[in-house]
Amino acid sequence: MSTRNRKPQRSPRCRWHILGVIFALALVAVACSDSSTVTDATTTETTSSGTEDGSSMTTDQPSDSADDVATPESAPELAGTIGFIKGPHSAMEVEFNEQIIADFNAQIAPNVDVEFSTYDWPVHVAELTTLFASGSPPDVQYLVDLIYPSFAEQGALHDMTDLVNDPEWADERANISDFAWDLAEQQGGTWGVPVLGAVYNIFINETLLEEAGLLDSWDDSYESMLAAAEALTTDEVYGFAARTSAADFAWWDWYPYIHNAGGDVLSEDWSECGLVGQDVVDAMQFLIDIHTAGVSPAIGSLDNQGLFDLFAAGRVAILHHETPNIVSLIDNPPDFKWTVAAAPPGPQGHTVMGNFGILSIAEASNNKDAAWEFIKHWASAPQVGRFAEQVNLQVVRTDIINDLFADNPAMRTVQSDLVPRVQGLQPHPQILEALQAAWPIAEDAFRGNLNGEEAIAGMCEAINGVLAS
Amino acid sequence: MKRPSPECVKRSTAYSRANDLRLTLSPEQHRALRKRYRRRKTLTAYAFLAPNLLAFLAFLLIPVVWLFISTFRTGGVLNAAEFVGLDNWRETFADPLATTSIRNTLIYSLMAIPAVFIIAMVLALALRTISRGSAPIRVALYLPTLQPAVVAAFIFVFVLHPDFGVINYAIRAFGGDPINFLGDTSLALPTIAGIEVWRGTGFWTMMFLAGLTALPSELYQAAEIDGAGAIRRFWRLTLPLLRPTFYFAVIFATIVNLQLFDSVFALTDGGPVNSTISVSLYIYRSLFLFGDIGFGATLSFLLVVTVLLLTGLQTFLLRDRK
Repeated sequence: MSTRNRKPQRSPRCRWHILGVIFALALVAVACSDSSTVTDATTTETTSSGTEDGSSMTTDQPSDSADDVATPESAPELAGTIGFIKGPHSAMEVEFNEQIIADFNAQIAPNVDVEFSTYDWPVHVAELTTLFASGSPPDVQYLVDLIYPSFAEQGALHDMTDLVNDPEWADERANISDFAWDLAEQQGGTWGVPVLGAVYNIFINETLLEEAGLLDSWDDSYESMLAAAEALTTDEVYGFAARTSAADFAWWDWYPYIHNAGGDVLSEDWSECGLVGQDVVDAMQFLIDIHTAGVSPAIGSLDNQGLFDLFAAGRVAILHHETPNIVSLIDNPPDFKWTVAAAPPGPQGHTVMGNFGILSIAEASNNKDAAWEFIKHWASAPQVGRFAEQVNLQVVRTDIINDLFADNPAMRTVQSDLVPRVQGLQPHPQILEALQAAWPIAEDAFRGNLNGEEAIAGMCEAINGVLAS
Repeated sequence: MKRPSPECVKRSTAYSRANDLRLTLSPEQHRALRKRYRRRKTLTAYAFLAPNLLAFLAFLLIPVVWLFISTFRTGGVLNAAEFVGLDNWRETFADPLATTSIRNTLIYSLMAIPAVFIIAMVLALALRTISRGSAPIRVALYLPTLQPAVVAAFIFVFVLHPDFGVINYAIRAFGGDPINFLGDTSLALPTIAGIEVWRGTGFWTMMFLAGLTALPSELYQAAEIDGAGAIRRFWRLTLPLLRPTFYFAVIFATIVNLQLFDSVFALTDGGPVNSTISVSLYIYRSLFLFGDIGFGATLSFLLVVTVLLLTGLQTFLLRDRK
């Protein structure tokens, strides 16, 4: 009994251990208080970005360089750290952005630290959702038009209407195409500055078309394209190929035919399905016909990259794909002549599908001034122009179109002939959900299980179902 | 007369004191002491269980309760939650894709679970008969289980691809037409089930082998003396004796397979034409792609309830009957 109630006696060694722990804790506390105090405003503070993919980087700008390179646009009063996140458009994404950030520190804001990180495209919506939900997302995000409206609707993005309408920035604003601004403005706000785009073009094997005598006529109409595909199909070569699965975002290849028929996923007021009219049904029927005519690889047999590899091997004559792949044909020239083109004109237009990206500011950002300065810098002609050339994407600035891609005729064609014809998607908060819901019906139709009318009716039912939810 | 030793006196004194103490306690005091002793014992047990219970509370019970509350709300992750009553439930039961995803998941489970159990049992029975040199075979069988689902999925791209896949290469070599395993709506789900069977066979073989090794050999010897053949011994001895192993296996496999996600996400993304969309994939899309928290929560809660119900049903069916 007495031994149970007796207080345990601490040995001298135990006391030393406790004292040691207290001393260590005190040291940690002192160290933490030191590191959280910025004592020199001209020396930027290095912090870890805490990104998951480890591709983040921090640039430190020495204090003495600021005065040397200060320009009339500079904003030395800005300080602190901002985060910038973007999906990679190149394996050199970090290096290219490092260059932009270094220029920003040298020319605009020497005291602002920009922490760059990347998200993974296949799961970028989930990644961004998690970041926004954390309450401390990166201050600046590169968001594509397919996903930003949902984040804007949920209040995750800062309405930049006042910023982009600043009279001091009016000239720069005017240099960005109206169609691009239309994509960035919705729900009564402006949710970012449009900077880049990818156009969905057609790659053609000129050698095959020339040999068949079809080079000048294959794209006169839908009928002539189908006839050309049939004429070019052999045991070794497929006349036509396009993506068909939602996993490959196949709707990009489908869109121009629908736009050219006067239709769209949503009606003009975005209240219901916009796939209406006989022209839309006919366009869908044409797409079904070309997929079931035996001129394409079996549906579902090849993914996006597989189709492109088949074209690069000379086994596809007419291929729907994306302009960033132009660089791979330049780097690894195939043994045939090739070029880029738009889909044939339809009864109500001759459009090209494009998918664009904007630079947004998070509503939760604590440093919106610095974020806005960084966006202006990133979107400026020298920076965005250089980046577009580095990664083979299109710019939406009209003032530099003629200066870009001097050594890249295919990209010049895209930039000068295709970009002006772009009709993008409708930036509705549920546009991705609507496309995901409707696409399996299109895919089923391309397998020959539905006709054009049934497919359009089914797609409209799915789209209206999403809108009703 | 010999005097008792000091040690003996000490022991005797201690005994009589204890005896006195016992005699002086009333029945109430006894009960109180016993109660206190039991309470202390219970508290000690809870103290040891506390870390696990806290984890259970934080990572399972609270999330499930939160999930259930979310089924009556919309938003709540990026924006404020809003009460919507039974709208999410109505939407879930009216959504054809939710039905398709549930049907696909159940069909997949019905294909994968029996197949992997039959193959694993056959392999385990075969391995039991090998007295020497079975270790390398066991390692080889277990290796696929060690592959992450995504790695296994990409291995199978090179096996099943219509153009350069090993199987289609062989089919073409014999003059056949290539099979579009993952691009054909009727083949995609069985193909994914096949991949998961390949991954799971090693694990379940080892599980059944462990169960078989633990079975009493005397019963088999007696059965053999009584003239029971191999098949009879399997049906009348092995299977009934393996009931506890099967009980665990069926429940565990059901829980795992109803959560099908990785291989579908990596190989087909639910396609072609939604023929492989699983409940988990649809939940992921609803929550992370479309930001539809209420709908995703409702579907998730339905999955939890389905797993619980199936586990309960299996427990009832596989319980020990006298």
